[in-house]
Amino acid sequence: MADMSRLGSLEREVMEQIWSASKPISVREVHENLARNRDIAYTTVMTVLDRLAKKSVVRRIRDGRAYRYEAVATKDQMVADLMHEALADAGGKAGRQAALVRFVDQVSPEEAKALREALEKLERRGDAR
Amino acid sequence: MTPVILAGLGLLLAGPVAGALARATWPAQVPRAAIVLWQSISLAAVLAVLGAGLSLGLRIVTHPSPSTLEIVAHLLVMALTLLVLARLVWASVRVAVRTRAARRRHRMLVDLLASHDGTDGAERQAGSCAHGIREMSGLRILSEPTPLAYCLPGLGRSRVVLSDGTLDHLDRAELEAVLAHERAHLRARHDLVVEAFTALCEAFPRLVRSRTTLQQTRLLIEMLADDAARRRVGAGAVARALVTLAGARPPEPVAGLAASGQGTVARVRRLAEPEASRPVLSMACYLASAAILGLPTVAVAVPWLAGVVEALAR
Repeated sequence: MADMSRLGSLEREVMEQIWSASKPISVREVHENLARNRDIAYTTVMTVLDRLAKKSVVRRIRDGRAYRYEAVATKDQMVADLMHEALADAGGKAGRQAALVRFVDQVSPEEAKALREALEKLERRGDAR
Repeated sequence: MTPVILAGLGLLLAGPVAGALARATWPAQVPRAAIVLWQSISLAAVLAVLGAGLSLGLRIVTHPSPSTLEIVAHLLVMALTLLVLARLVWASVRVAVRTRAARRRHRMLVDLLASHDGTDGAERQAGSCAHGIREMSGLRILSEPTPLAYCLPGLGRSRVVLSDGTLDHLDRAELEAVLAHERAHLRARHDLVVEAFTALCEAFPRLVRSRTTLQQTRLLIEMLADDAARRRVGAGAVARALVTLAGARPPEPVAGLAASGQGTVARVRRLAEPEASRPVLSMACYLASAAILGLPTVAVAVPWLAGVVEALAR
């Protein structure tokens, strides 16, 4: 379990490297960057990049006899996509929405008005903290 | 008579009974018991329909001298019944697999894209708040201005996901309300209840009330989690968090939104009332659930089974 979470944080670090690189980056470059402030094996970096490629968040590009890696999208784009998925509404496929449970869904302007009225009523009652 | 009674019971439960329960306002006062009642009604309806088909189909076994036509007709009924059962099983498996796959991928992306404990995002909002929520494992904060809060259930791998926008819009008590709400979902595995009703709805989308049932149980589960949050931080904070996050962005014009919006209004109105303790009502609800499931079994299935056994023994 500890190993899994270590791999997880390593994956995030490697992704940050890839996102901040201006062009596809090689295993060696990632390793050099990471090895600056820690002791890390080259093969570990390779494993992490391999895992990220399997998760389809990075793309492998052949460069001579080695591979270079680039992210499938910018970090902002991926966050935006993720949010979009999380927001996909109840009108969508039933199975999709069973994956996550939202705190609250968006409401129409009329409903927003009804909500504010209900809230006012609650606050008037004075037990609101 | 057995098949007729069972089929009638199934239709009654899936139609008028479910309809009446959906229109009733009292379930919101006893959400937990009402969820059990919904489960009982749905399960009893499914069992009754299956029982009707099986008892009709199996009648051939006890028939003294069946004609070919009778044999074919009864086999057809049996096949149909088994088809209904297969459809239900298939839908359950499909929903379970799809839900878990979507969740796994979503969790992987959240873990990759989020800051882990909200320290970089949350600190500027309120140091004390970040301190309060940091101890919660599985919390992920996405740097995204759109306010959003949700949870990804999973045994030992659950996540609560907030956005920077949520931290910006809510004060400390409201944020704690959101977290308490999500924790209640995760602790009680509310997702499993929803999953079962999702499967039912997917197996029989046009079954009289399967979509209503799904919507109603979803809403009751939200109310249950609201209550958990209310006990922790007070009704005011929960309601303010709901109203703030529900109105934070313009709604996307999609089908089904109206229903969920109505549900949100119901949740806030409910919070405006003092928390009701209705032991009699909830006890009645539990008894009704047990009766709905148990009575048909005792009154119909047992005599029928006894009859079959007796006929076979002869």
